[in-house]
Amino acid sequence: MKVLVAVKRVIDYNIKVRVKSDQSGVDLTNVKMAMNPFCEIAVEEAVRLKEKGVADEVIVVSIGPKVAQEQIRTAMALGADRGILVETDEPLESLAIAKLLAKVVEVEQPDLVILGKQSIDADNNQTGQMLGTLAGMSQGTFASEINVGENCVEVTREIDGGLQTLSLNLPAIITTDLRLNEPRYASLPNIMKAKRKPLDVKTPADFGVNVISGLKTLLVESPQERSAGVLVGSVGELVEKLKNEAKVI
Amino acid sequence: MNVDFTNEELAFREEVREFFKHKFPAAVKDKQEKGIYLTKNDHIVWQKALYDQGWAGINWPVEHGGTGWSATQKYIFATEAAEAKSPRIIPFGLAMVAPVIYTYGSEEQKARFLPDILATNVWWCQGYSEPNAGSDLASVKTKAVRDGDSYIVSGTKTWTTLGQHADWIFCLVRTDDSGRKQQGISFLLIDMKTPGVSVTPIITIDGTHEVNEVHFDDVRVPANNLIGEEGKGWTYAKVLLTHERTGIARVAESKARLNSIKKMIDEAAARGEDLNSNAVFMARLLEIEVELKALEYTELRVLSSVSTGKAPGPESSILKIKGSEMIQMLDELVLEIAGIYALPFVPEQYTEGFDGESIGPLFAAKAAPTYYNDRKVSIYGGTNEIQKNIIAKQVLGL
Amino acid sequence: MDFSLNDIQQMMQDSAAKFIQNDYDFETRRGLSNSPAGYSEDNWKLFAELGWLALPIKEPYGGLDGDLVDTMVLQQEFGKGLLVEPYYATVLLGANLIQKQANDAQKLELLEQVVAGELKLALAHSEAQAAFDVSQTKTRAEKQGDQYVLNGHKAVVLGAESADYLLVPARTSGAVGDAEGITLFLIDPKSAGVQLRGYATNDGLRAADVGLTEVTVPASSILGQADSAAPAIELVLNEAIVALGAEAVGIMEKLLAATSEYIKTRQQFDQPISRFQVLQHRLADMFMETEQAKSMVYFAAMEVAKGGPEASRVASMLKVKIGSAGRLVGQQAVQLHGGMGITDELDVGHFFKRLTCINNQLGSRDYHLQSLINKAAAG
Ligand SMILES: Cc1cc2nc3c(=O)[nH]c(=O)nc-3n(C[C@H](O)[C@H](O)[C@H](O)COP(=O)(O)OP(=O)(O)OC[C@H]3O[C@@H](n4cnc5c(N)ncnc54)[C@H](O)[C@@H]3O)c2cc1C
Ligand SMILES: Cc1cc2nc3c(=O)[nH]c(=O)nc-3n(C[C@H](O)[C@H](O)[C@H](O)COP(=O)(O)OP(=O)(O)OC[C@H]3O[C@@H](n4cnc5c(N)ncnc54)[C@H](O)[C@@H]3O)c2cc1C
Repeated sequence: MKVLVAVKRVIDYNIKVRVKSDQSGVDLTNVKMAMNPFCEIAVEEAVRLKEKGVADEVIVVSIGPKVAQEQIRTAMALGADRGILVETDEPLESLAIAKLLAKVVEVEQPDLVILGKQSIDADNNQTGQMLGTLAGMSQGTFASEINVGENCVEVTREIDGGLQTLSLNLPAIITTDLRLNEPRYASLPNIMKAKRKPLDVKTPADFGVNVISGLKTLLVESPQERSAGVLVGSVGELVEKLKNEAKVI
Repeated sequence: MNVDFTNEELAFREEVREFFKHKFPAAVKDKQEKGIYLTKNDHIVWQKALYDQGWAGINWPVEHGGTGWSATQKYIFATEAAEAKSPRIIPFGLAMVAPVIYTYGSEEQKARFLPDILATNVWWCQGYSEPNAGSDLASVKTKAVRDGDSYIVSGTKTWTTLGQHADWIFCLVRTDDSGRKQQGISFLLIDMKTPGVSVTPIITIDGTHEVNEVHFDDVRVPANNLIGEEGKGWTYAKVLLTHERTGIARVAESKARLNSIKKMIDEAAARGEDLNSNAVFMARLLEIEVELKALEYTELRVLSSVSTGKAPGPESSILKIKGSEMIQMLDELVLEIAGIYALPFVPEQYTEGFDGESIGPLFAAKAAPTYYNDRKVSIYGGTNEIQKNIIAKQVLGL
Repeated sequence: MDFSLNDIQQMMQDSAAKFIQNDYDFETRRGLSNSPAGYSEDNWKLFAELGWLALPIKEPYGGLDGDLVDTMVLQQEFGKGLLVEPYYATVLLGANLIQKQANDAQKLELLEQVVAGELKLALAHSEAQAAFDVSQTKTRAEKQGDQYVLNGHKAVVLGAESADYLLVPARTSGAVGDAEGITLFLIDPKSAGVQLRGYATNDGLRAADVGLTEVTVPASSILGQADSAAPAIELVLNEAIVALGAEAVGIMEKLLAATSEYIKTRQQFDQPISRFQVLQHRLADMFMETEQAKSMVYFAAMEVAKGGPEASRVASMLKVKIGSAGRLVGQQAVQLHGGMGITDELDVGHFFKRLTCINNQLGSRDYHLQSLINKAAAG
């Protein structure tokens, strides 16, 4: 079985981002970048499938600037077998990503595609779903457990207030939630091996996909600074404040 | 991570050494070695030697006659120049106004000003500070009022370094005082020979004439001397400040200075003064050596990140503070070595034409004046307190 | 000229940072430090799996051939977690010394076990009068036929209790102060005559004073050649200074971030205290010292590896810088936290304690400043 995993290069989740002074976006100068945490979970799941003998090849694809190779190498250090970078310096919206992924799916013909449910930079939560439509594959989103069977995969989904388990026919698309697994740390020997694994570089033009965006970011604002807390004397006072000051109950 | 020079870089270093061996004007070199103050002409002769070599525009783009050197090449040049005791390049033309002109000036302005700056045919000075606009530079009040094809400029600039030699001055002037104070500032080039411009000297505590007040008494300046757009002068000035960080720490000079201090210690030993066994002095010397090494590597880190196309990292903001502190600590060491001979105030000893015997060791004659004069390095170019404000705000987000 | 990390170093940094972040928060670390062993065996196994134990060891012995810059990267991250596992004792001192001093058969036998996580080591180099300079070693080993008999006292041997072997430098010839005449013995701490008096250190690690009374070992327990161990020990200690420097920089970065965060949230006089310029400037000072210390670590990581007499001068320079920067950053981090800074509950005080102990390890700032002065005066 062939598994394709999509990974995205985003700001490291430990970094406190700063909005540029012109509010056109987040300041990325000298900021540490990393693999989107949900994508890391996707890679881990694919590698575990390989270790269990369920998958025999794990391919990792990223769409982004040349430096996104770093995230592909990281995925390979975690156990993916080969990588594909679709190189572009354009900021792409989810639909363009999904179109490109659909082309990669067409070429690679994976049995399973695993993506993060969303990326922590834009929180769009739609690429997997769009890809499902474009590639005509069934999808299991927000997966917290995956079991691959004969020609099908069982996906347990985290939904509001409970869990739902689906069975999807293969080929299928899965997007990962936080509790699916705990990604491993890349070991040094594997980091070194990753350097020798194949990494193909393509461009959107190679796939004939138009990545021009129909979307423009108008304004990015920092969240309001948290004001100091108050110490309340009693439960009664707390309820009173929640009701009348915070107006949340 | 590595800091070893490549073969090409080593060859470049040889070339620079050859230049200093053969083309560094002998008269200037002699004065530098004896510590004699340079005249205006000395500076010009030296800078023209650089120009003849094609090395005047160190940071300039190649299209305007710049060197196109890599960060490492600049570092090598600075190191060799300091070892050869070459004078500092007077920054006002080559390093300060030129980048503004080639970045924001019109084609006409580039053609009119840049060649003469590159060849040091014209001497520039910097008219930013005013009696009531020091750290708070955006408070400049010198007014430029539009009148047909001219601006009429009136006001006073101060601390103008070497303004007494200058042919031209670049100024931050106020063209509008209605909005935020940063917004009404414009960047204007003024010919010092224009009627109404006058210069009065300010004598500093070392007894020298280095800074001046420059007065503008209804000076008529052609409007085509305005750089870029009216009201954008603050932006131009600021962009430049943040981009001109290489060399600001003057690490190469300090390294050369530390080496000469070691020689002074040996000379002192020859005279029978054993500083080597002065534990307090030695501790200070070696702490300074450690700090200077750290600073050198901080500067290298900045250079290397700039050369790989990245924006200078947060470490760049400490160069000015640590670099100026270093210069001042070295001054203190020299003062200490000079001992009692730091006292005589006999400026003839370091003025052109002196060929008598010095009172005490020659280096001691200038030890105190240099120490006094260098108190400026933590004041100009944004005081060290202002630099710390910048670190707190921009780097630490406080 | 290039100060960037290569991609292997970057990935190693990432995984180490993640490990510290996910599995090594301050309370976990406190628990480990207070446990009987003082660290976690599970973590040790993980380090073996991740290849960290193999990092500075050469390939023929199962290692990964890392250099000092690699070690620096790892140590900087370890610093941020105040790691209590005996990595420094086993890998950076013990294994590194074996690799530089032992003969090939000994290396093959011992290093592969270290790499596999099956063998822990401790270097018993320090004595009360010789925290750093091994030529000052007073412990003696007398040759008696095919055997050697050791007598002496080793001070504050880090990781001694968990070590399967102690590496013990002892004088076999010459007088105290001679560079020649130091021999390195591999000694089982359970041997007769070895007394370990174990204790916690002020920074939450474990160490022991080691008494050696008529400890009799065969000549085969000598690592490498007799009388010749001093240069290798000196080199290993110089490299260890780089490792400590990197750890200290990690700690300083952590303190800087914690303090900056704290003063932004702590309100007094109806405002965040970060509005007070005196605190802003103090933090700017902490920042500058941290960066200068980091520059010095970079310098030393590249230079010390080259060895030779310059290596020990460079290591001393680094130790001086780390000592003064560490003191400033540590003290001010505590100061700016007000009373909170001196509580056991908050991690800040523990980072401060580790910085303090780093200064007293392998020769303090003053010690190394004096040694620089001596070298300068000697010309
Ligand atoms: C030798 C020399 C040569 C110079 N050459 C030139 C030149 O060629 N052209 C030119 O335009 N200018 C020049 N300058 C001027 C220089 O840029 C100013 O001196 C400098 O900006 C400081 O301004 P000030 O002297 O008015 O001091 P002030 O701004 O009055 O500062 C006084 C003190 O208050 C501190 N301070 C001020 N504001 C703050 C704050 N917000 N927070 C904390 N501390 C603060 C300062 O750090 C300083 O210690 C020169 C200065 C010197 C000394
Ligand atoms: C060991 C110990 C024993 C103590 N015993 C007692 C006791 O018996 N009884 C008692 O009542 N209290 C006691 N205290 C409390 C002590 O008085 C406070 O810790 C002290 O007043 C500082 O307050 P803070 O800890 O809240 O720090 P903060 O006020 O939060 O200060 C944090 C940092 O900000 C700085 N800072 C705050 N405001 C400003 C400002 N306006 N300008 C510049 N910097 C500022 C401080 O100097 C400090 O560095 C004790 C404290 C300690 C550490």
